[in-house]
Amino acid sequence: MNRFVLSTGAVITAALVAVLMSGLGRDPKHIDSPLLGNAAPHFVMKSVGSAETIDIAKFRGKPVVLNFWATWCAPCWEEHPVLNETARAHPEVQFLGVVFQDEEAKIQDFLRRRGAAYPTVIDDGGRAAIAYGVGGVPETFILDANGTIVVKHDGPVSQEQLQSYLAEVVRK
Amino acid sequence: MITTAALGRLLILGALLVSTAGAFLGFASGAKRSEEGLRWSRRLAYAFGALMLVATLVMEHALLRHDFSVSYVAHVGSRDVPVWVTIVSLWSSLEGSILFWGLVLGLYIAAATRFTSRGNEEAMPYAIGTWLACGSFFSFLIAGPANPFLTMSPAPLDGPGPNPLLQNHVLMVAHPPLLYLGYVGMTIPFGFAVAALLRGKIGPTLVRAMRNSLLLSWIFLSIAIMLGGWWAYEVLGWGGYWAWDPVENASLLPWLTATAALHSAMVMQRRGVLKGWTLTLVLSSFLLTILGTFMTRSGVFNSVHSFTQSAIGPTILVFLAAVLIGSVTLLALRIDTLESEGRIDAPVSREGTFLLNNLLLVLFTFTVLVGTVFPLVVEAVNGKQMSVGRPYFDSMVVPMGVALLFLLGIGPALPWGRASREEIRRALLPPLAGGIALLVVGVIFGARNPWTIVTLFAGGYALQVTLVQLAKLRHSRRSFGAYVIHVGVAIAIVAIAISSTMRTQREVMLQQGQSATIGAYTVTFNGTEERSEPHRTSSVARIAVAKDGRAVTTLEPRMNQYEMMREPIGTPDVHSTIGGDLYISIVSLEANRAGLLLIVTPLVSWIWIAVLLMAAGGFIALVQFPRFAAKTAAKSLVEAKATP
Repeated sequence: MNRFVLSTGAVITAALVAVLMSGLGRDPKHIDSPLLGNAAPHFVMKSVGSAETIDIAKFRGKPVVLNFWATWCAPCWEEHPVLNETARAHPEVQFLGVVFQDEEAKIQDFLRRRGAAYPTVIDDGGRAAIAYGVGGVPETFILDANGTIVVKHDGPVSQEQLQSYLAEVVRK
Repeated sequence: MITTAALGRLLILGALLVSTAGAFLGFASGAKRSEEGLRWSRRLAYAFGALMLVATLVMEHALLRHDFSVSYVAHVGSRDVPVWVTIVSLWSSLEGSILFWGLVLGLYIAAATRFTSRGNEEAMPYAIGTWLACGSFFSFLIAGPANPFLTMSPAPLDGPGPNPLLQNHVLMVAHPPLLYLGYVGMTIPFGFAVAALLRGKIGPTLVRAMRNSLLLSWIFLSIAIMLGGWWAYEVLGWGGYWAWDPVENASLLPWLTATAALHSAMVMQRRGVLKGWTLTLVLSSFLLTILGTFMTRSGVFNSVHSFTQSAIGPTILVFLAAVLIGSVTLLALRIDTLESEGRIDAPVSREGTFLLNNLLLVLFTFTVLVGTVFPLVVEAVNGKQMSVGRPYFDSMVVPMGVALLFLLGIGPALPWGRASREEIRRALLPPLAGGIALLVVGVIFGARNPWTIVTLFAGGYALQVTLVQLAKLRHSRRSFGAYVIHVGVAIAIVAIAISSTMRTQREVMLQQGQSATIGAYTVTFNGTEERSEPHRTSSVARIAVAKDGRAVTTLEPRMNQYEMMREPIGTPDVHSTIGGDLYISIVSLEANRAGLLLIVTPLVSWIWIAVLLMAAGGFIALVQFPRFAAKTAAKSLVEAKATP
């Protein structure tokens, strides 16, 4: 038994396997948002299907689910029923859809067919998307009652994930 | 009637059964020295290869027939894509690529069983056992976590087609299969190394079989790495060919250790030393291919190559850990049984430089490995995300590359064994002329970067030594091949140094009819054209290129929009000449206005040429040409008699 080979090999094996194992389950494309823990950027945007505008500041006092999406994005279709159902089940939480790089007629058509349990605004010129550092759609931000961003979720959100996020902000 | 998906599953289960049985039988008959057992394990090795071949053919048939009831076909097939895309979509996505891996492994095992048995009867059962154990793992992956033969019910009418990056360039047809030939091929020398350790001895025929199989994988891996770089250059649009991307690094790591092993095996053959070290390098090369597989397929590393996140990551990690633990234990238990038959007694000798070359290559491997996994370590420790970029790799690797290039010149110039001071001087001084000559030429053409100047000097020195050795050679096919490889390596390193430090680039915005100049070139934007094919639409910028006032070509960089992709994929266009390339990629494109990135890079084509030269040298060293065979046999007979 060559002890030098054994001990060197054991150290390399343990270190390499431990490092690789720590990486499992991690999404390398995920980038933490610097906005987490900070006040959500303010915006006033036109509501879909009416001339009214919605000011995000007026939701202060309630947790908010802010969902960036578009009609041309297939994962957003997948996610839409989850958001609708959860919005109906949680009247204490304000849901708001923000549509990104899209046309109003298409959005209205989409919502008419697939249902709309909460208001949707149009992000003209992508200003809100830039302010929130949106890298792609769908992306969902969860704000607590004070307007602080507590969660950023990339990609379509599942029922279970959304429930656990909401449990976190409602408990606060 | 049995469905295609069920037939595929059945074949893979058969392969799993055959390989598991063959692995057990191989090790058992090795321990008991049973000839009957060896015969049966050989049959099972052939059966494994045959089952993998048929399973792959079944998948290709399903792809070509657009049989969307097979899950993999539903996942990557499409009625709209050209036939060649359908054929190569076998390796365009995770499950198919693992099946393809199984095919390559099966064919390698069958071929190695058939062609390397003679003279290795005692080692063969262990080698076959090891190969089939790997076969068993990959059949398990195909049968379980990465099964491409699941049944889709109801079957969809059409599928999305393979990853657009695969459809975007024809080099994608060749890069993955060659990479697999290189990666999977490392299993064969690995099996021989395990056999040598289990038996506690390594004779000349086993060394030859191990070296040849290692060299074959090395050749494929060299071409694959080069094609990957070429593809990145032709497709990705930033004008470079190497980005120190984790998966690029993953392919480089086993190449480095295999290069080291090929050299130390030569010292082992000549002097009877470095046995345990050589086997360690061979085991490491195989382990690094498994690490590379993990990197590409676990979703842990961010890269252009990554397949989507999948459940096979943990399975491959378990396999990697098992092979690591097995290899370390085997080495610790058996390394001392491999007796040295001599020692390296002169540091300034050819074998001394081989040793230094090995240390540098291992250091190189370690540096790249650390840079690649470091972001994971940081994130595991403090949760912060970071990436190790070019500056780290360049600052660490450039000095090592230059040192290796120096050794490439000094090593072959020195004689084997102890030499007098006068002999050393006579060997090392004349090539200085070559070094100075290339340096002067480089400076005349504008080389100013200190590292480039040192590289030119070392490259010229190495080229003179190698060309003189080539001219002196009369009958050694193997040395002839090796020196051809050395010429390739020297050219490649010089071309990399020049192309990365002497390129010029500018970004321009041109209205239709407007021109811009870069170097000796004038480019004129002649408008945009829309082209439509069944699987994509393209916006093409038509650009006339003139050099020194004379029209030379028209380049057509484009933006391709694939049906299933949100973002268009740009494809640059390149005007290649032997002296350098003009590279144009699109930054923005409208009907009568184009934002273009123009890059002029000297000597890029030489990198591709150099690697092809290396591969050609490898084949010369590998293939027994009849003219050389008789002479080599006679020579080795003389050598065998001369060795006490």
